[in-house]
Order: sequence, then structure tokens, then C-alpha cells
Amino acid sequence: MDLDANRSLIAGALARIPDGDRAALQTVYRLTSAKLFGVCLRILGEHGEAEDVLQEVYVTVWRKAADFDARRASPMTWLIAIARNRAIDRLRASRRSRNMEAIDAATDVADSATGADAALESLQEYVKLHGCLDGLASHERAALRGAFFDGSTYEDLATRMKVPLGTMKSWIRRAMVKLRACLEQ
Amino acid sequence: MSDTFDHSGLPEDELLAAEYALGVLDGIDRAAAEQRIARDRGFARQVSAWEQRLAPWAAEIPEMLPPPQVWDRIAGALPPRTPRSGLWQSLAFWRGLSFAAGALAAVCIAALVYFGALTQTEPLVATIEGGGQRHFVATIDVQRGTVAIVPAAFRADATRVPELWLIPPDGKPRPVGLLRADAPVTLTLSGDLAGLAKNNAVLAVSLEPPGGSTTGLPTGPVIGTGKLTNL
Repeated sequence: MDLDANRSLIAGALARIPDGDRAALQTVYRLTSAKLFGVCLRILGEHGEAEDVLQEVYVTVWRKAADFDARRASPMTWLIAIARNRAIDRLRASRRSRNMEAIDAATDVADSATGADAALESLQEYVKLHGCLDGLASHERAALRGAFFDGSTYEDLATRMKVPLGTMKSWIRRAMVKLRACLEQ
Repeated sequence: MSDTFDHSGLPEDELLAAEYALGVLDGIDRAAAEQRIARDRGFARQVSAWEQRLAPWAAEIPEMLPPPQVWDRIAGALPPRTPRSGLWQSLAFWRGLSFAAGALAAVCIAALVYFGALTQTEPLVATIEGGGQRHFVATIDVQRGTVAIVPAAFRADATRVPELWLIPPDGKPRPVGLLRADAPVTLTLSGDLAGLAKNNAVLAVSLEPPGGSTTGLPTGPVIGTGKLTNL
């Protein structure tokens, strides 16, 4: 119930931004910046860069709030996608390749993690996604994790997991096909 | 284009949307996908659908409070919005007018409810719960127009204070007052608030900066809600 209340507070504030309501943007910021900063920090791995990108994210939200359609998407999904994309753009632009040796350890940690989170809109969705990810082969899951959480490219992943680029592409594509089929069941 | 399939059985476009949403594309492929999102609504929708599928995964990323100066930088970087023109302005005018009429009606209803409430003597109670926790228990003395709030499992936050809101059936939260994590608090319900504190109205608690929300609406996360019922 508190999650539903938060979701409608965020959606309501987003709807007021196109009228130039700065307080509405501040409301969105207060409700979501801890999550989005976490997302930026996870991808960029460095506070200064994550702060710069977080600033870009909310300026983007200010400019593009009119594009958000509450009937089609949840506000958190929309905001998380903006944060991930801006962080990935920054990562690619700086051409800094992060040290990814921890990929196997990260897989273990996350697979045992529980998903209690204030930004989580539906526990059911999380449980379902996790169930479907668990159904993938472990190398497929590790590749998807590297892309989603670290912003890795096909090439990064191929190098790190020591397979040819073409193999990595077919792993990920096959994994996404399976994921979609599973989520739609 | 969408009739190109690869070995996986999904159309090429669908796979491209998935790759973009996941973030594995680089350089020219990523730029090309972005251009298509801007031009091709169908493709943009496929990307959104994939973002929706993957978003619950972000629950695993821990929240991290950004330093306070980030907001100041954002506020300083906001370009002015171009005011909406012509039709929009008149729409806003008409909306304003209908809002004013609605507000007048609400005042009349509030007056009726308020005088109705004076005759009601049963206390109202609400348990404010969220995230599987019972945070506060509230009791409203309808005759005196006071609300007593006792903290239960509420945990204090170093930087924010709990603020109580009354949400009548119109869905608009009204600020009631600040709460404490360590002691019961009794707040007075001013004029029309007392009239709105009725069976089935909702109490909510949000976390606000010290001193409470300055906007008249919750600005921080809502940690719990509870419906008022007659004891």
C-alpha cells in the first residue's frame, strides 16, 4: 500500500512538471534520487561521475516529463531507464573499462539477495523475473547481469567470459528470448 | 525489417530493442537504436516493454543518498520551460474555473461534514502500516478534534522526520503535523481537518526534511498508511 502511494505520488508530480512546476521536480527528486543515484553509482563506480550523471538525469526528466505516459509505464521503470541510459552513455564516452573480474562473485551475491526495496513497485514482478532468470543457464545469467548492472558491452562481456563475440551475442539473444517467453507465461 | 528473424525465433527488431534496453550495444549500433527510438514509435514501444521487463532487477541495487549539493546543481541547471500557448492557456483557465467551483462545493461539503462530525462521539482509530511494519497507531478524539499518535515499530531516520497526513476521499493529502519516533504526540485538527477526519479517510506518514514539508504535500517517501475506522 505504501508502494502504491509512492507510485501515485511520483506519477502525480511527473504530471505537473510540463507546466514548469519546479516543486514537482523536487518531489520526484526526493522520492527517487537515492535509487537512481544507486543505479548510476553501480554502473559508473565513482561518486563524482555518478553525481554528474544524476544531475543530467533530472534535467532530462524536467525536459521530457511530458513524454511519460502513466498508462503505459510505471514511473520508476521510466526513471530507472533514463538513469541507466545516461550512465551507460557516460561510461561509453569515457571509454573506461572497469575491472570486471568480480563477475562470478557478483552472480553469487545477487542470486541469494532478497529483493526488499522501497523502489520496488511489485514484489510479484520481482519474484517472477527472478524465477525466469533462475531458469537460464548460468553463463547466460552472468552475461545478462554484467550488461544490466555494470553497463558492459558485447565486447566487454566476450573478453571477460573468454568467448568469441559471436558466441556472446547468441548467448544474450537466446537468453532474452527465453526470458521473454518465461515472463509471458 | 520486422520480418527478419534470426535463429532465436524473435524478429530482429524485437532483439534489437532487447539489446538496447539491456545496454549491450556500443558505438554506432547504440546511436542507431537511439535514432530509431526517436523516429519509430513501434520500436520505441518495444524498447519500453523490455525496460519494463528488466526494471524489477534494479531492486537489487542498494539505494544511496546523493550529497545535498546535487539538488542545488540541478535547480541551477534547469532551462526555463516555454509557457504553453493559446489553447493551453485557455484550457488552464477553464480547468482553474472548474477547480474553483469544485473547491466551493468541497467547502460546503466540509461544513456539512464538520457539523455532522460534532454529533459523532465515537473515537476513530487507524493503524499506520507499510512494508510489513506497523509504524504508528492513531486515535482521533472527534469531540475535541485531537489526534493522538503512538509510535510502534517506527524507526527514526537521522536526516528526516515523520509527518502525518490526512487523506479524505478526494485523495488530496492535508498536512496534520510532525510526529516523533520516541514518544506519543497529540496534535490538534484545525477547523476543516476535524470535519475530514471521518470513517474511511486515510492517515499516512511520510519522511520529510526537518521542519516538515514546505510544499503542503508529501515530498518524501510515504512509509505507511492506515484507514480510519470507528472503534
